[in-house]
Amino acid sequence: MTMEQQERRRSFGFAVPALIWTCAFFVVPFLVMLVLSLAHLEGRQIVQDFDLGNYVKIFTEPSLFKGIVVSLEITVTVTILSVLLAWPLAWIIATQVPERYQRLAIMLAVLPFWTSYVVRSYAWALVLGQNGVLMQGLIGIGILDEPIQIMATRAATVIGFVHFFVMLLTLTIYSNLIQLSPNYARAAADLGANGWNTFRLVILPLTLPGIMTGAFLTFVLCIGDYITPQILGGNNELSMPQLIMLQLGRRGDFPMASALSVVLMVIVTLAYAASARWLKMERV
Amino acid sequence: MQNGKISGFGGVAALLISTSMVQAADLNALVWCDHTDPALLEPFEKAHDVRVNVKEYEGTAAGLAILEQSRPGDWDVMVIDTVDVGRAVDEGLLAPLPGDALPTASFFPEIVMEDHNGRDGKTYAVTEKFGYNTIAYNSSKVDPADMQDMSSLWSGKYDGRIAVYDYYLPVLGLIGLEQGVATADLDSDAVEALRDRAYGLKAAALQVSDVVASQTALATGEVDILIGGGEWVTAVLSAENPELDWSVPEEGALRWSQSIAVLEDSENKDLAVEFVKYITSPEGQARLATSSCYWGMPANKAAGDVLDDAQKGALRWDEQGDYLARTQLYPVPDADLDLAMQDLWTDMLQQ
Amino acid sequence: MRMLGWLYMAAIFVFIFLPVIVLVLFSFQDSRLPVPPFDGPTLKWYGQVLADRGMMEALRNSLAVAIISAAVALLLGFFAAQGLARVKLPGSILMRGLLIAPMTVSYLIIALGLLTVFNNLGFRPSLWTTGIGHVVINLPLCFAILFAAMGDHQKNAERAARDLGASDLQVLFLVTAPMLKPALLAAFFLSVTFSWDEFIIAFLLTRFDVTLPVEIWSMLRSGLSPATNAIGSLVFLVSIVILILLELTVFRKSKT
Repeated sequence: MTMEQQERRRSFGFAVPALIWTCAFFVVPFLVMLVLSLAHLEGRQIVQDFDLGNYVKIFTEPSLFKGIVVSLEITVTVTILSVLLAWPLAWIIATQVPERYQRLAIMLAVLPFWTSYVVRSYAWALVLGQNGVLMQGLIGIGILDEPIQIMATRAATVIGFVHFFVMLLTLTIYSNLIQLSPNYARAAADLGANGWNTFRLVILPLTLPGIMTGAFLTFVLCIGDYITPQILGGNNELSMPQLIMLQLGRRGDFPMASALSVVLMVIVTLAYAASARWLKMERV
Repeated sequence: MQNGKISGFGGVAALLISTSMVQAADLNALVWCDHTDPALLEPFEKAHDVRVNVKEYEGTAAGLAILEQSRPGDWDVMVIDTVDVGRAVDEGLLAPLPGDALPTASFFPEIVMEDHNGRDGKTYAVTEKFGYNTIAYNSSKVDPADMQDMSSLWSGKYDGRIAVYDYYLPVLGLIGLEQGVATADLDSDAVEALRDRAYGLKAAALQVSDVVASQTALATGEVDILIGGGEWVTAVLSAENPELDWSVPEEGALRWSQSIAVLEDSENKDLAVEFVKYITSPEGQARLATSSCYWGMPANKAAGDVLDDAQKGALRWDEQGDYLARTQLYPVPDADLDLAMQDLWTDMLQQ
Repeated sequence: MRMLGWLYMAAIFVFIFLPVIVLVLFSFQDSRLPVPPFDGPTLKWYGQVLADRGMMEALRNSLAVAIISAAVALLLGFFAAQGLARVKLPGSILMRGLLIAPMTVSYLIIALGLLTVFNNLGFRPSLWTTGIGHVVINLPLCFAILFAAMGDHQKNAERAARDLGASDLQVLFLVTAPMLKPALLAAFFLSVTFSWDEFIIAFLLTRFDVTLPVEIWSMLRSGLSPATNAIGSLVFLVSIVILILLELTVFRKSKT
């Protein structure tokens, strides 16, 4: 055996425990779920008959299919809004805040990350309610005469999500921005591009990796989240995770929950494929 | 430095061992949230030197699914809808209780429900708490006269001011009553006939919410009416929100009741029976009735000697005779009808 | 233009901090409902939370699960990064993909998969099963951070150490690990944070002993109360203190 082969064998040995862990507790469970999704519930017995009944149901039963639509609508709205709000903030921190305060500004911008995730949605419920701080405040200073209904609507879910993801995206876009040399912008300006063109043709393309990494994370975390729509959405429409939890919590229908999860997984994989070429993860 | 590291790891290990260590005696109970109140559990734990582990579940189907996935001996005690006790008995999940050791003689007679709690002369469960799913409302914001007539919820007058309690059995039962169908007559055709009425209710409602979100919405003025509500939502708030009220309308309302049972696979049956005895004793009943998650009438009248007047007032102790006469039990669907009702409910949520 | 920038930043900061301020403010509310008007201050809800047996146990459970699962994830991730960064192996892109994959999947799916498998095997849900799930979500993170941090100068130092007769494990713990200290710390603390705050895996994979987010969830479900604000504020406070300590000690030092 050559030195190189020995080295290779040793290196592979180091990777084995992690590979085994990932296979045993991630790949195998997913395969088991895939098999289970091809079963169905009869009375309370799980009948493993390898048919696509659950999937047919998901795409034909309006209440289940709407879950996919609701989830996609919310997730796409949240992702776009978060990018639009976070980009300028990251840009301002990276370009206008003096350098020695930048770290502080970024830390402040993501400080509410450190509140408990369950509590964060609950806090928004307190803010957005009819008698909540926001409505009472706006009525107090005379902007509104009557509270507007935000709580228990899709708007509340979207606000709760955007709050979280603006923080996340500010972080990813900022770390991308500070790696850019300001010379790019100056060089482009020297060549005669006006402000808008500098942005569109130079800065935006260069920050695209940061945007896409953040946007993909937003998409994945948002579409799979149960807590935020459950606390803020008032059950007026059900997202996919809510439907999955409904199958588990109320009906004990594991096969249908598995099938819905597989569909969710497919959607996330498609999103990954669509954004893969910009993702930093690929470099890993 | 090295020592610091080692003691650090030692600390973590100790932490882990202490959290995973099993105490000498454990009682594992599958319950509803009112049984998680330490004020209810601690006296029993002290008296018997045990630890009562509780796990909440939602809905009988999910509870039975949990039991099915567990290993024998995992569970000792279960709280279950009285009307569903039969389903659990059918599957051989429950152990007979020593009927003569239970204080059913001092229960409200309508609540003993032998035909649900027992079979072939054996007792498998005992009722512990009951109350009503009806209309709860804010008396300063709605016309109380309207609350005597359930159809006013569909009249358009209260659109956007209604919350629907997110539990399909009582609310579909109420919609049935409004349509003149007794809960005992709800079959798959009758349920399907309620579909439009259910969608209409959803359209008039601001939200469909669980116990807490319902309470919150009523207490903060988010909504003025909660269909499916009753003393279990208003009583706990009565001190600070005296304007919250509830009524049993002309059409009638639903009566919920929960039973407690010992599981056949329990390896701790004696202790489990002791727990059942404690829960049905006057003191246990009083604590359960005023438990932090939700209040409800105790099945045992003797709890009246333990509860104070304010608590009894909030529970409307003196009006129970009238309510018991005018309310009906939950629908008792078989597995298929149960799924059909849940499907209808999910469809309604997605409207 | 500059003015506009500052204004925008101020507006976003208000948005970001609004819920936190409301959360903390109403933890001092005197009456039972944490909605305006504010009628505090009182510390009684903090007293109630700190005296709550279940809450304090959940806190301890969360801490244990977070520290242990993060340590396991770090160890596995470190080994794997070391193995895959050192030499080009056939199929190493595939292996890297496999190790990163759990990062791109919703936690709910991971939780449901594990629940199904554990049910079939007859494993009872517990803090251990939750810990296993948390290692699954944190392993990709640790691996990615450490893999990215491994560079050529490490390789050279490692080779030198090996030429001097050091064993593989000696090289790993005495040469590589110290050089990667900042990355190791970052990976560890990020993992602790993620595990500490994770809800859905812990919710589906625990039974009686639960973690803090699950306990807070059931508290939320059992009644609206400023006590929820109090526990939320406490968790926030503790996280901030740890964050500041880390910033002042570990990361400041590592930068210089």
